[in-house]
Amino acid sequence: MEPEVVLSVRDLRVGFGGVEAVRGVSFEVRAGEVCALVGESGAGKSLTARALLGMLPREATVSGTVRPDLSGARGRRIALVPQDALSALSPVHRVGDQLAAAVRSVRRVGRREARELAAAALDRVGIPGTARSYPHELSGGMRQRAVIAMATVNEPDVLVADEPTTALDADRRERVLGLLAARRESRGTALVLVTHDMDAVRRYAHRALVMYAGRVVEAGPAREVLARPRSPYMAGLLASLPRPDGPRRLYALPGAPPVPGALPPGCAFAPRCPRAAQVCHRGEPPERELDGRLVACHHPDPAGEPG
Amino acid sequence: MRAAATRSAGLLAVLAAVGLLPWLSGRDPALTVLRARSAEQEPTREALDAVRRDLGLDAGPLALLGRWAAGLGRGDLGASWVSGTEVLPSVLAGLRVSLALMGAALAVALLLTVVLVVPVLVRGRASAGAGAAMLAAVPEFLLATAGLLVCGVWLGWLPTSGWAGPEHLVLPAVALGVPAGGLLGRLVADALPAVLDERWVELWRGAGVSRARIRAAALQRVLPPLVPQFGMVAVGLTGGAVAVETVFAVPGIGRTALGAAKSQDLPLLQGAVLALLLLGLLTGAAAALVRRRLLGPALRDASLALPAPRPVRTHPAVPGVLAAVLLTAIGWGLSRDPYTVRTAARLAPPSWAHPLGTDGLGRDVLARLGHGAAATVGTAAAVCLLSLAVSLALGFLPAVAAGAADIANALPPVIVGILVAAAAGPGTGGAALAVALVSWPPLAAHAAALVQEVRASAYLTAQRAIGAPPWWILTRHVLPSVAAPVARHALLRLPGIALALASLGFLGLGARPPAPEWGLLLDESRAYVERAPWAALAPAVALALLAGLAVSGASYAQRPRTGTKARTRRMSGVGA
Amino acid sequence: MSEPLLEVRDLVVRHGATTAVDHVSFSLAPGETLALNGPSGCGKSSTALAVLQLRRPDGGQVRFEGRELTTLTERELRPLRPRLQPVFQDPYGSLSPRQRIRDAVAEPLRLRGRRPTPGQVAALLERVGLDPSYGDRRPRELSGGQCQRVGIARALAGEPRLLVLDEPVSALDPSVRAGVLNLLADLRDERGLGYLFICHDRDVVRHFADRVVELREGRVTSEWRPRRSAAAPR
Repeated sequence: MEPEVVLSVRDLRVGFGGVEAVRGVSFEVRAGEVCALVGESGAGKSLTARALLGMLPREATVSGTVRPDLSGARGRRIALVPQDALSALSPVHRVGDQLAAAVRSVRRVGRREARELAAAALDRVGIPGTARSYPHELSGGMRQRAVIAMATVNEPDVLVADEPTTALDADRRERVLGLLAARRESRGTALVLVTHDMDAVRRYAHRALVMYAGRVVEAGPAREVLARPRSPYMAGLLASLPRPDGPRRLYALPGAPPVPGALPPGCAFAPRCPRAAQVCHRGEPPERELDGRLVACHHPDPAGEPG
Repeated sequence: MRAAATRSAGLLAVLAAVGLLPWLSGRDPALTVLRARSAEQEPTREALDAVRRDLGLDAGPLALLGRWAAGLGRGDLGASWVSGTEVLPSVLAGLRVSLALMGAALAVALLLTVVLVVPVLVRGRASAGAGAAMLAAVPEFLLATAGLLVCGVWLGWLPTSGWAGPEHLVLPAVALGVPAGGLLGRLVADALPAVLDERWVELWRGAGVSRARIRAAALQRVLPPLVPQFGMVAVGLTGGAVAVETVFAVPGIGRTALGAAKSQDLPLLQGAVLALLLLGLLTGAAAALVRRRLLGPALRDASLALPAPRPVRTHPAVPGVLAAVLLTAIGWGLSRDPYTVRTAARLAPPSWAHPLGTDGLGRDVLARLGHGAAATVGTAAAVCLLSLAVSLALGFLPAVAAGAADIANALPPVIVGILVAAAAGPGTGGAALAVALVSWPPLAAHAAALVQEVRASAYLTAQRAIGAPPWWILTRHVLPSVAAPVARHALLRLPGIALALASLGFLGLGARPPAPEWGLLLDESRAYVERAPWAALAPAVALALLAGLAVSGASYAQRPRTGTKARTRRMSGVGA
Repeated sequence: MSEPLLEVRDLVVRHGATTAVDHVSFSLAPGETLALNGPSGCGKSSTALAVLQLRRPDGGQVRFEGRELTTLTERELRPLRPRLQPVFQDPYGSLSPRQRIRDAVAEPLRLRGRRPTPGQVAALLERVGLDPSYGDRRPRELSGGQCQRVGIARALAGEPRLLVLDEPVSALDPSVRAGVLNLLADLRDERGLGYLFICHDRDVVRHFADRVVELREGRVTSEWRPRRSAAAPR
């Protein structure tokens, strides 16, 4: 039996001044599942994630539905682990006070109880006794843990992690991903992981959504998407990664991602696509089901090669 | 530690200058003193020598300084040259009055700060900075004159001179407190939006912390780094007090200092200036203490520095229109004659022949305004250029630049003006010197910061890596990146410098009559303001326009920071 | 084997009381790619700056093309510098924001008293895969990957023998990274450049390097060869 759906996104669109940066994204997140949003910078991954939290910039216009709407229940139902956890804590507040502020905003508890809950959360991520410290008194690794403790102090059902491992070295990356995975196992927290770290996707994600120019171009079980990509974009992206058994010369996607507002006619990927034919330049491909996978491409390839 | 050292060295230098005033002034005060003491006595050589011996002027500068310092140690500030009475009691009496005034002004300032900051806190982003900056730029003497005219003279609500009861406190406190409150409000209101953009706010929001708690935390985050600047505002009050006390005839320490400077009563001046400096130092020390208490162990964190505020820009048309109006009036006025006295046409209302009316001697106000601008702005431009040259040269010595900036921040231009006027006599040159003394350090600090930033940048390392010699790097990379922004900064300080010159003119420390200097125009017109309000209104409006120009133009000096870090973060953080 | 292009012996770099690089030794043959790998703060970048003599080491020797660099004065070093060139991590930070791309690329030539022709600059830009029309732009008008290519073109202008690549692809998206890595591989094959390649990403190191030196807390902990590089012809 499949676990319950905790978050359902339908036709999400996010625009800035009439230019759509997210163009109709739909997906579901189930309890205890790790759902990865992958793609290049500017594909709309972060905007999609922020829309789930109701934390888009003020000037953004949003349409489509996110059910249930958790933006009013931030902290309790859904929480964010931001990028660059090293500098994400307030420098002038004690770590414990920062966590307690989150507790007291969400639950009706006294000052003392909030402090105890904060201490317990710091305990859980493996840095007990740091509640009275200021961030600058902690090491980088401890600060990362404190950030995760802050996001999880109110035991949310969904955690949104926005590039949590970008710019981290291998050891620190492992530690952060390990903590997030432990959270999922112990409490069944669902995780929406925005990343371009394919290795993290392979090892931790259940499902992967590949985004390009504001759309989902491929979605399905993470391992299958990574092993046999159907969309030429995902195939190209994977071929550009160095692998032990890969070719000496990496595949580099030609050209650059399109700028929102100046999309090419037809499929947005067509100008960079080795499989592009006339039809690709004429109309945008609809999303369609292909053995348990969703693909938006006129020429999905069962072999999963870039061309 | 180094800052403390430069600060105490600077303080010692200022103290020595104060102590040496009688010698520095170089002119013989004996005659003045003799006249003041007895109008009948003939100024014979013997009589003058007696006065000199009496005052100790025949000894050398070091002996003079030593005697003064020794007296200081005993709590003896000497006796007034003019009245012969002890200096200390009159200084203390003036200090008591001024402290009451400054306390009331501080209350006004804090109230105004709250009024300015609350909307920013509630709305979150949009800053009240532009309006607050306008208030902060209005010089105290202008506000005091306007308050005197409107509330005191026309409406008759409040007493306009003297020091007899709480109702006498209102107008001076408002005139002194509003610019300070504008400055404080602007500092907080400008810093808040940038702080609300900091990374921790995202973490807190994402963890469910309520809006109110985030706002409160942002305020806690903003205040401690600003406390030293609050101290500076308090120091600025001592300078403002001179003008305000003079306008409202309040017998405070500022007015005492000014009067002493004008009558060459140097012992009294020394005592009064010393008291003002002490007042500034104590507030500065109190501010540092408050900051330490507020921050505790977080003080040692390097990331504590506030993010650079995003410049609040008015519509580009605002400085354009202000400049156009001013230039038109000035150009028109320049083509007319500012000096011809027509007693038949005294205090004439505006007419076609005299578009802005005439003054108490029948001189054309528009002409005086136009020629005054040439004098005021011309002097200001010279001061600006000098400051620019000095700051570019000293920008490569960051320690000197920072120390000088510290001292200049602790010295209001009016006090420097009083000292210079006492030493060199009032005049345009003295006023320009006084303003130049306090206007180069901020530019030098800016230049030093830029030099350091460029020197630390990765591309300079890259320059060395391709084998570029030092002179190549200096002339092709460092100087071009420093000179242009500092020159722009200097240009944008021009209106502010002109205002400082005008305020010295207003206090009688700058240009002498019949020169048509703006501050002087305002001062002269106060005498007949009830009969000819336009004569006062014209320079007042011109000065207000200049203040508006200073603020709206200055925001264009700061380029929004586009550090690569912020940039990549924005790109990956927001996606689009 | 011929004489090493670069030989580092007992290199020591201290930052105040902490020792960032603690007696590190390695050597690099002409045309070889040697990677320095390890976690943040292991001393990789300090080693790079010390090799480049942009930060004088506190001990040890750096021999480049048989000449000892540590004993040379800054003035004596200057003529040698074009032959050992860095490419830094931050593609924007290493270019002057005020300078046009054309001038940035031409600067190493001008420094040596030459007057570069537009054709020379255009050829350099084309060699790194940029359209010569980019010469008119400033760094901010380029993407991160394009800026990194400009940095490489600028390094090539000095006709170097050794490039010190300090995390050159860490700030780039994977698809952009692939293009830059391919370019570096082509240049290596074409010009026989030696690379000191500093990178924290093991997959990239395994793919790109001939030999890997592992650093931890300023010390060399191990040295290994990616298995395939010996077998697979380039």
